[in-house]
Amino acid sequence: MTTEMSMIMTRREVLKRAALMLGAALSPRIFSHSLQAAAQVSPNQAKARFLPAELHKIAGAFSERILPRTSTPGATDAGVGDFIDIMYGKYLSVEERKLLDDGLSELDAASRNLHRAGFASLPGVDQDAMIMRLATESKDREKSFLAQIRELVIVGYFTSEIVGKTVLGYDPVPGRFDPCIPLSETGNVLWNR
Amino acid sequence: MANLQGAIARQNTYDAIVIGSGISGGWAAKELTGRGLRTLVLERGRNVEHGDYPTAFTENWEVEGRNRSSLDVIARQLKQSRAGYTTLPASAHWFADDIDNPYSEEKRFDWMRGYHVGGRSITWGRQSYRFNELDFEANVREGIAVDWPIRYDDLAPWYDYTEKFAGISGSLEGLPQLPDGNFLPPMEMNCLERDVKKRVAIAMGGRPIIIGRVANLTQPHMGRASCQYRNRCIRGCPYGAYFSSNAATLPAAVATGNLTLRPFSIATEIIYDTNESRASGVRIIDAQTGEAIDFFAKVIFSCASAVASTFILLNSKSERFPTGMGNDSGELGHNLMDHHFKVGAAGISEDFADKYFRGQRANGIYVPRFRNISKESTRSDYVRGFGFQGGASRLDWARGIKEFAAFGAKFKADMIAPGPWRFGIGAWGECLPYHENKLSLNSELRDKWGQPTVSFSCEWKANEYAMRRDMKASAVEMLEAAGLKSVTPFDDVSAPGMCIHEMGTARMGKDPKTSVLNKWNQIHAVPNVFVTDGACMTSGSCVNPSLTYMALTARACDHAVNELNRKNL
Repeated sequence: MTTEMSMIMTRREVLKRAALMLGAALSPRIFSHSLQAAAQVSPNQAKARFLPAELHKIAGAFSERILPRTSTPGATDAGVGDFIDIMYGKYLSVEERKLLDDGLSELDAASRNLHRAGFASLPGVDQDAMIMRLATESKDREKSFLAQIRELVIVGYFTSEIVGKTVLGYDPVPGRFDPCIPLSETGNVLWNR
Repeated sequence: MANLQGAIARQNTYDAIVIGSGISGGWAAKELTGRGLRTLVLERGRNVEHGDYPTAFTENWEVEGRNRSSLDVIARQLKQSRAGYTTLPASAHWFADDIDNPYSEEKRFDWMRGYHVGGRSITWGRQSYRFNELDFEANVREGIAVDWPIRYDDLAPWYDYTEKFAGISGSLEGLPQLPDGNFLPPMEMNCLERDVKKRVAIAMGGRPIIIGRVANLTQPHMGRASCQYRNRCIRGCPYGAYFSSNAATLPAAVATGNLTLRPFSIATEIIYDTNESRASGVRIIDAQTGEAIDFFAKVIFSCASAVASTFILLNSKSERFPTGMGNDSGELGHNLMDHHFKVGAAGISEDFADKYFRGQRANGIYVPRFRNISKESTRSDYVRGFGFQGGASRLDWARGIKEFAAFGAKFKADMIAPGPWRFGIGAWGECLPYHENKLSLNSELRDKWGQPTVSFSCEWKANEYAMRRDMKASAVEMLEAAGLKSVTPFDDVSAPGMCIHEMGTARMGKDPKTSVLNKWNQIHAVPNVFVTDGACMTSGSCVNPSLTYMALTARACDHAVNELNRKNL
């Protein structure tokens, strides 16, 4: 091996190591550590500041069905319920708040009608069935409750710290641009932006 | 009393005054101080030192509203928020308060203002292209508006000069419709961009797609660091890795020892000395105290941005200039232009599924103008042309919002992984200079300081709409020819002003009867006043104008200093 080749090999390894240090690759050990941290902070168990308590609970349960905890954090771990609460209180317009209020209430009412129990207390499979039905009903509606809450859940999840740092690729100061590299080298995940 | 007034006047007297500290004002400050002139820069807003960029490293989760502004912010920035991105949490502090600084619209005009030291040189898009030879000849060839009093060859040395200082990265292409400049190494295209470039060249008779020419550094340059590929430029760059007044021209001016920078100084009029038949200085209102203060200088550069400079001139009334300084022609306020955009197409590629990139490139690709640049490309339905900006990326988790029936573990996994590649382009098109497109002074609506405000009456017309039809059609044609799937056009509301390239209203021209400024950016009738921001533009081209403002400003400053040395001013 020529000197140049061995130098190139070394530089590539250095880059790989640097990427790992920035958390670009998710490893189970990193995740379980952050899970513990998340449990201490107890996201979503915090009292609702703006949403009525019951609706806050329903929103939290709903979020967890959309993005459940698997080997990676779920919506609850990412504090999505609290995010929805803050958005409701300070960022949504009057119309948007009403859409959320009505949507969550109607979902809960439908649940009590069908299962004689509130949405938040249903088993997961029944919650999923109700979400599926909502999806079919909402299909052709431009400004539906489902569209709104999905946006809140998905944005809240993917812009959260635990997801940004331990699920997506976290690279706050790349320092360079590698325009075309194997996806496997970046951990098969989207970059946090 | 006279002694005290005299002392104050002397204290307030400089060799040169520059109104504004944005792209043009920063350059005027650097050039004039660099040639030894004691220069006062009057900025209406607060000071921003290089590095004072509070959101430069803010992560999504550190912003309470994540991707949304609070209702309070939106309430004070209703018009600024029309652009869609300006008032997001990362950058809302760089745009004006619409309640303190109102304006009116006979027809919708989205006027985005950056009222602070550095102005919109902090938030600009940084795409930097030269005008071409055709741009300067178009008016006279087509019998539209008035002829530019200069040609490309007059400005070429100043493009050279300003590019070399500012640091523009790009590739040499040898295209007459997009003249090459002095470039730092170009940024690279990603996998799909390279592929589309190749396919379009083959399918569209050699049509070029190039990497954007952008004012981001690809290597260290004049004490500023290379781009770190975070793509958070709009927040301000602590590395100084893109050109702004704060990172580049103002520090150079400070280093000369000749600069006095006065923030919170709202220029209300340029003072005309009837006896001397020249401007004597600038009157300001101190934004914090409300006090009116006069400053004096031999030479005045109005670089307040297109609308603001013209507004100051309109507000500078005297017996000699009853309708505004320099308005002998009646053209002051008229011939307002912007670029129209927000039309194009995007398509999906299933290729390169196993490829990605590392780093967030603060740049895209560019498709130089290919219409009305030759006999073969001449259109019958419109004159002038457009370019495309865009690029390829992998779809992210936002695509999941509308997939109503998708949720749960697999959905989450799918959203975490990069989605399919998408390539999209949007066109930026030239707007003709129409006399009827104008701004005027409105004394009935007053701002926080009791000053009159601007009223806009501006609209796109037949040439622009015909061009937009072709912008959309040619985007679809190109992307389909490149083999992309599900090619979908878009054609969204593009109100005048929204592109934030407002130009015209104090145009350059050969004849004082039909223009405000001469070939050196001097007001015909008041040669010690120069206007070198967007107001001076006689036509608008389809390329981003800031580089041209830099070149015009440096050229005009050189002339101003030479004239002072020759005792002509």
